[in-house]
Amino acid sequence: MSEQPVQLPLPGFESARAEWRQDYDGRIDRDGSLRNRSGIEIKPLYTCEDWAEERYMEDLGFPGQLPMTRGIYPSMHRGRTWTQRQLVGFGTPEDYNQRLKTILAAGGTAGSLIPCNSVYRGYDCDEVELPLLGTCGAVVNTVDDMDLCYRDIGIGELSTAVNDPLPFTLLALLLAVAKRRDVSWSRITGTSNQSDYISHFVANHMFFRIALPGSRRVLVDHVAFCQEHLPGWNPISVVGQHMQQGGATPAEAMALTLCTAIQYAEDCRTRGMDPDVFLPRFTFFFDISISFFEEIAKLRAGRRLWQRIVRERFGAKNPKAWRFKFHAQTSGVDLTRQQPLNNIARVAVQAVAGIFGGLQSLHTDAYDEVLSVPTEEAARIAIATQNILREEAHLTDVIDPLAGSYYLETLTNQMEQEIEATIARIDAAGGMFAAVEAGLPQDMIGKSARVFQEKVDSGQETIVGVNKYREAEEPTTAPRPLERPDQSAMEAHLARFRAFKAERSQAAVTAALDTLARAANAAPGTPGQNVYEKVVEAATAGATHGEICACLRRELGFGQPLVMP
Amino acid sequence: MTDTAKRTSRPPRVLVTKIGLDGHDRGSRIVAAYLRDAGMEVIYTAPWQKIEAVVKLAVEEDVDVIGVSSLATDHLLLPDLMAALGAAGLGHVRVVAGGIIPDGDEAELLRAGVNRVFHPGSPREDIVATVSHLAAQARATCANG
Amino acid sequence: MTDRSAAAAGADAGGKLLERLLDGEPAALAKAITVIENAGARAAQVLAGIQSRLGHALVVGVTGPPGAGKSTLVSALVGELRRRGKSLGILAVDPSSPLSGGAILGDRIRMAEHACDPEVFVRSLASRGHVGGLSSAAARVVDLMDAAGKDVVIVETVGAGQSDVEVAQLADVTVVVCAPGLGDEIQAIKAGILEIADVLVVNKADLPNAERTVAQLEGMLSLRDPGTATVPVIATTATEGHGVAELSDAVEGRAETLGGSARAGKRLERIRQDIADSAAELLRRQLNDSDDDGLRALCRSVQRGELDPEGAARRYLADYMGNKA
Repeated sequence: MSEQPVQLPLPGFESARAEWRQDYDGRIDRDGSLRNRSGIEIKPLYTCEDWAEERYMEDLGFPGQLPMTRGIYPSMHRGRTWTQRQLVGFGTPEDYNQRLKTILAAGGTAGSLIPCNSVYRGYDCDEVELPLLGTCGAVVNTVDDMDLCYRDIGIGELSTAVNDPLPFTLLALLLAVAKRRDVSWSRITGTSNQSDYISHFVANHMFFRIALPGSRRVLVDHVAFCQEHLPGWNPISVVGQHMQQGGATPAEAMALTLCTAIQYAEDCRTRGMDPDVFLPRFTFFFDISISFFEEIAKLRAGRRLWQRIVRERFGAKNPKAWRFKFHAQTSGVDLTRQQPLNNIARVAVQAVAGIFGGLQSLHTDAYDEVLSVPTEEAARIAIATQNILREEAHLTDVIDPLAGSYYLETLTNQMEQEIEATIARIDAAGGMFAAVEAGLPQDMIGKSARVFQEKVDSGQETIVGVNKYREAEEPTTAPRPLERPDQSAMEAHLARFRAFKAERSQAAVTAALDTLARAANAAPGTPGQNVYEKVVEAATAGATHGEICACLRRELGFGQPLVMP
Repeated sequence: MTDTAKRTSRPPRVLVTKIGLDGHDRGSRIVAAYLRDAGMEVIYTAPWQKIEAVVKLAVEEDVDVIGVSSLATDHLLLPDLMAALGAAGLGHVRVVAGGIIPDGDEAELLRAGVNRVFHPGSPREDIVATVSHLAAQARATCANG
Repeated sequence: MTDRSAAAAGADAGGKLLERLLDGEPAALAKAITVIENAGARAAQVLAGIQSRLGHALVVGVTGPPGAGKSTLVSALVGELRRRGKSLGILAVDPSSPLSGGAILGDRIRMAEHACDPEVFVRSLASRGHVGGLSSAAARVVDLMDAAGKDVVIVETVGAGQSDVEVAQLADVTVVVCAPGLGDEIQAIKAGILEIADVLVVNKADLPNAERTVAQLEGMLSLRDPGTATVPVIATTATEGHGVAELSDAVEGRAETLGGSARAGKRLERIRQDIADSAAELLRRQLNDSDDDGLRALCRSVQRGELDPEGAARRYLADYMGNKA
């Protein structure tokens, strides 16, 4: 039997809103005020009052067009998926070679070389405590080591993110291998992933090798060198990840990253380089926390701000210079040691935020990172997560699919304002270089880290399995010791390293290091005295990573980051 | 003043430091602030301390507890630190470690004499109470020894 | 506990601490500082025992506003003095949190270069409620370092009002550090730091306004009464080591001009100050803990407006302490 359909007149907006507000307030007994990590107040409901269609062209436009909110390419992930870039590095160069091959076979499309912490600190393998060697990255010090890392792998075919701070000795060693294998440098593609010395000074101290003024100079030399010799290489990756991992809010991390990029661009322009030529080679690297909408808004706002910055501050006319290309990594800070398998869900949510935020390249963390260096099984799941999101969940079918959401567009605009406010603070402090010397960003980050921790301690922010939904008996995975490299293999590697040093042409190495020292002492920009060019020559002549770093630390000052309690 | 500080005749003195190669200091900064807010005196250092430097520092500052933060693999050096402290006559000094330390390595550290290992998510109250308790122990051992 | 440390602790209990301290043993110096800092039972014994061994060390106070680069400068100065063969004691004073009583003592961050040098002894001191005030606790620690045979003792404080003056009272040579480009600092210096400085340093001399700051300071110094001792103004870049040798010369030169008898006189003055501080602290405690009818009556008098607090204090001292204040 059929009922008479109930016909009601469409209510007016105002009266409907008033009715909803009343009903809502009746159901919410606690103070409903919420703020996201960046401090923006989050309302329970967003409507066309917050964001309306009239703003479409001003706020959004079309993909690949200004203001770039919807993505930097016309086709985005529909055309070409993001690059699946997993970090690898462990043990000896042979170990790295094996792991890289496994990852490529599993669907990885690019390499990402993670060196041992001894390398990060600028030392050779014979300068640090043996138990630490190769425990969290590959020990790579010489051109022979680099050759072994890429044994049976075409270095001209693989895009490589080299996680190596300035003076970028690992890229220099890679270029030396290219020479040895007769591969043209024009075929070497990838990114100097850890070129952002300011982020190291501020938040990732391990990577900070050379005193600030010297770092500033070497980076500009590196950009100039790559512009001339490596057309397929991105010499600068500005890293917001370190600061966010260090405790910066998403808005602060984005703002400080943009300020850093402005500083580098100004330094390059001061050297006489053309923004329309160097800016298209700028790339960025962000952390994606689990604060889902906030992260999407952060990335969209950052994209919109960058195109405006490069046009307004640098007069960039080349549309390629307007593109905010970035790699993103799911945040390890959000992962928990308690109930570690939960991390698979967290990583998936973080990855979705990054994908909806329009990333170009993605690293998904292994769920057991917080326990130890990831197992192969966990690394496989991390890659599978990306494959599932792309091919099973069809996240790539539509470009910027959340655009037009009242909430997201409002939040994107608010995040943009929040980011601009922080940029204004840094501008007022004389720019990023001066601000970090004075410790301003360090102070901001330290405070934000504490504020967040206090929210966790007080239960205001829930972390499942940590401050809520705890389980008495943690059904965790079996206790696992740190995977340690084979000691005999490492000792053999050390012996090989010593043999390498004994057998090379000492005269050639000494001469190359002298030339490097002279270049470091020449005025920046002196023709024929590009420090990075001399680094590459030294690596080719057989100088080791540690020798090159030591030489520049002697000439330009040892990097002492501003550590703040 | 908090109860922790009142219980002892003077505030516990705690060294918060990092050894080895890694430089991530978010955790050590937060823990240092926890301990200060609980009324302790925290001697805070840059990362990458050599073991002999940690020993010298512990002597000069007359600390009760040493807290070592390790987020990479630097905890592997802790047995060496414990041996060096013993050799320098600092057997009474209590040592705690915190950060990303694999479960499977914990037993080895405890065997080497580390008093406690904290993991990510360790509650603030637990950290503060443990350090305070260990500081009192260190003083008692030192006075009675 | 190891046998060795048990033996060492046992020796302490037997009163050997003083002997080991005078031998310059770092662990004994550290323990003695703890004893003094806590005004422990053995404090009086230790203090009495070192008196005959004082006066060897040159005591240098380093103060100035936050951000001037004091710690980095001290580290550079230590490096230079080590090259000149001096052994050093460094006392770094940081504020305690007024809320918790705790403190984060971070001055060693900038001392990495000397982290393993046995001739450099560093102690961090929190400014917690010391009997007789910070200056007295710091002065006693300085004495211990002196007695332990250090050639130079450097006291570093955050320049914030009273502590500057306290440093000047206990130091033979007071170095005031500032950095260019901060207008407030110059104001602070005008406000009083100038009077305590024996040496003025403009650190971060590589910054743009450095020369102007040096000129401003020299201008201010020229306005002082003729006949006051000359105060050199030295530009340094501590991070690069520039100007540090000059600073060391100025510090050592000032000590020579001062001479032994002047320093001994200053010590006596300091001891008097110590006694005054301790007396004030004891009195304060006595009054705070007092349940005395007379004191209550005085409080009411002040409340009624019959007496001001100072008048009440005078009467209390006269009535109850037999003091002719």
